[in-house]
Amino acid sequence: MKTDEICDTAISSCLKLGANDVVVTVMKKEESMVRFANDQVTVVNSLDELSASIFLCVGRRKAALNVVDLDKKGLEKACQQAVRIASNMPEASLYAPLPKGPFNYDRKLTERETVPAGPDQAVHWVQESISAAKKAGASRTAGSLTARNVTVHLATSGGAAGVTVHPSLELSIRAFGEGLASGHSLSVSVGEKGFDPSAAGREAGELAKAAKGPKKGEPGTMDAVLGPMVFADLIGEMGRFSSAFYVDAGMSFLTGKIGEQVASPKLDLYDDATDPTSVGASPFDSEGLPTRRKALIEKGVLRTHLHNSATAAKFGVNSTANAGLIAPRPFCLQVGAGEKDVEDIISQVDKGVYVTNDWYLRYQNYSTGDLSTIPRDALFLIEKGEITASLKELRISDNILGMMKRIEALSRQRKWVKWWEVDVPTLVPTALVTGTRFTASSQ
Amino acid sequence: MEDILEMAVQRARSLGASYAEARYQSDIKESILLKNGTPEATSVETMRGIAIRAIMNGGLGFGSTNVLGRRSVNALVDRVVKGAGAAGSVRKSPIVMSPAQTTKADHIIRPRIPAENVPLESRLEMLKEADSYALEAAERSDIKLAGRYLSTDALSTERTVINSDGSMVHSIVPRVSVHIFLTATLPGKGAMQRSISHGEVAGWEGAERWDLPASLAKETRTLSRALHTAKTFKGGKMDVVLGPEVVGLIAHESSGHPAEGDRILGREAAQAGETYLGKDSIGLRVGSDLVNVVDDPTLTRTFGHYLYDEEGVKARRRYLIKGGIINEFLHNRETAAEFGAVSNGSSRSVEFDREPIVRMGNTFVEPGDRSFEEMFEGVRSGVYIKNFMEWNIDDRRYNQKYVGLEAYLIESGKISSMVRNPVLEITTPGLWKAVDAIGDEMEFTSAYCGKGDPMQGIPVGTGGPHIRLKGIRMEGAP
Repeated sequence: MKTDEICDTAISSCLKLGANDVVVTVMKKEESMVRFANDQVTVVNSLDELSASIFLCVGRRKAALNVVDLDKKGLEKACQQAVRIASNMPEASLYAPLPKGPFNYDRKLTERETVPAGPDQAVHWVQESISAAKKAGASRTAGSLTARNVTVHLATSGGAAGVTVHPSLELSIRAFGEGLASGHSLSVSVGEKGFDPSAAGREAGELAKAAKGPKKGEPGTMDAVLGPMVFADLIGEMGRFSSAFYVDAGMSFLTGKIGEQVASPKLDLYDDATDPTSVGASPFDSEGLPTRRKALIEKGVLRTHLHNSATAAKFGVNSTANAGLIAPRPFCLQVGAGEKDVEDIISQVDKGVYVTNDWYLRYQNYSTGDLSTIPRDALFLIEKGEITASLKELRISDNILGMMKRIEALSRQRKWVKWWEVDVPTLVPTALVTGTRFTASSQ
Repeated sequence: MEDILEMAVQRARSLGASYAEARYQSDIKESILLKNGTPEATSVETMRGIAIRAIMNGGLGFGSTNVLGRRSVNALVDRVVKGAGAAGSVRKSPIVMSPAQTTKADHIIRPRIPAENVPLESRLEMLKEADSYALEAAERSDIKLAGRYLSTDALSTERTVINSDGSMVHSIVPRVSVHIFLTATLPGKGAMQRSISHGEVAGWEGAERWDLPASLAKETRTLSRALHTAKTFKGGKMDVVLGPEVVGLIAHESSGHPAEGDRILGREAAQAGETYLGKDSIGLRVGSDLVNVVDDPTLTRTFGHYLYDEEGVKARRRYLIKGGIINEFLHNRETAAEFGAVSNGSSRSVEFDREPIVRMGNTFVEPGDRSFEEMFEGVRSGVYIKNFMEWNIDDRRYNQKYVGLEAYLIESGKISSMVRNPVLEITTPGLWKAVDAIGDEMEFTSAYCGKGDPMQGIPVGTGGPHIRLKGIRMEGAP
């Protein structure tokens, strides 16, 4: 069956069986991933997947199901199962009818070009990146490159129907140097234009070289210059916990803070699925609503949570077109650029640490935002505006809202970040966060 | 299905692959979520497909499809072999598989109460009952449960793996799990949060064993006591007793992960990271004589249970640390070949579309000989950390942090008042070498361990008895 037939058949079948709201999504994924370590390709992954999912409501009772047999019989069976599951469940607390279409979607988002997803080109790009890293001073490298085209066909009983392609090229390269030194860089793009494996390799190699022979860092409260990979991790948390689902569940440090100053006036944060240069772009959300750019934070003030129709109804606002059928989610986060060069930001720090990457962010308390995360890769001591040493073995132990409020400067240069640690595509500058608490192992 | 898998292996071999493996995997997961007492959408997710892995010209290729016709699988085999060839063309050293015994086996677990025989609404009822017990306990103990998030999953995994060495393993493994997240508040005292997981390889009888209503009521009362009475923790040098939940996590993070052969070889370097251990670390002392850390997938009912791995290798108990000394690493056939060893059955994959990589099963500290009371005897001043919220560890698995949630001061050998947020931030050898007493009662918990690219969250068990650390510098947190 063709994808539009799958959608139409499933919707009409579910409606006949008693559903009042139905969303059908058919996804075709074509992907090559090349992983490498010690400058050698360790595996080439090749993925070819066709899947469909049904979300429906019977009254206020909800069910979600994916369909593996995409023929008429398989679909019919799945529809019956989904309706049966929903009918037997109690009513959900959050419910609103699906948005009424039809809708017009932005053609810049529905007609995007695919990327080359074959293994030969991907292996070539990887070699290019490794070579640039080595030339810049790396002793060895590791990473992954993913070339992916995902075609999504969505239709709803509300009359929404659309097709879009999500193309992406994502390279993550980590370069190693002398004595536990390492540097990490990325290149993320929706097409070959803007995808630069050499530049990423070079940056990772240069960082690894500059970070040679790191010494154990001293804990204390210092200014922190957070490179794009670190700042994107924190901004990703601001985006994730903007979701009304987490707010409603009492799991968000942003609960009850609409209209409040939650960050420095220097911070503007947007969710923008309409930017065709982002790998997170999408013409529609999971309920078929056309997406739009929205400010989550303007001059440090929290403007909105992220909503689907159901959470919007509960909160008495309009959907922000961020469905997630269960939990609203950000598509693509963007922080407004600052006015300084990264070098100028470093030069204004009297004593601090320049953190180029982090991982393993965990909360002691989601409702307060108390957390810690571990700097990894190149980490530098800044004294009197100059980088004076390479460091290791420090941890940021702080509060996310406190850190957001202490943003003192943002760089004019911004970078797209999406990798193992940051799953929502995020465009961010480098940030200076004053008074950041660094801790270290006691023994 | 076996004929299609056999066909795929033969086709890969005929295209020149020196090794080929075909796996059919089906995962059916039924999930129910109760948020603040009311249900969100109930979902049934079926993941089903075929994965092919092949070595060609010394390069490794992996691929998957959920379109299961012969034409589609043949096309997949061609793509995988081509990808492996492309990888091999730029490798200096060829990938090879270590020798392994040929296995023909079935591993079918038949639960006493198959989850599919328990209506979804009955499962929801269990969550609702537990939720109401928690609410009642909160009301009686004068706190608010501002957020209650309860979910349960029933998962059935069926696999058939065939490889070009002649192995064939078929398995059906059911799992049940629950996850609970509570946010408790008390005006003037702020909020505390508790995350609880249970999971077993079992049918619904597993969920019945956990007695969720009673355990949630108890957890709520503990949160209340902590909110009402816990004092600020001042820190200082002291003895530390860690509860089984913390010990299990430490065994997993600070012993299991560092021992993974692929990390040691740098294969995960850009994602899940590397390890402080090297190829030559077998025999290295990292802990006191008392410390034995084991990974054992063969323990029945545990969440990380399996008997044969994704390469058809029989699983067995592995002593990662024995008497404080690094004793064994975790290997699949690829990493074992690099070490001149044989696989110890550590190859796992979470779904059909994920490459099998080196994973843990159930990782735990072996029990010692001290009773619970004896763990505290002789401690003049210390802290008992029963469970935690925040934790993390660096990508070499060397520096870690655990922040206590339910925690008590120890004074003159006795547990005394509750304290808030004691922080243990310590190196891996620093931690294991400080162990001077180990309790005699084991507890297991369940978790999903994240690793790989694309990410694979795989079911694991973690466990241990109480352990005591001597003379640790502790910190307090705000």
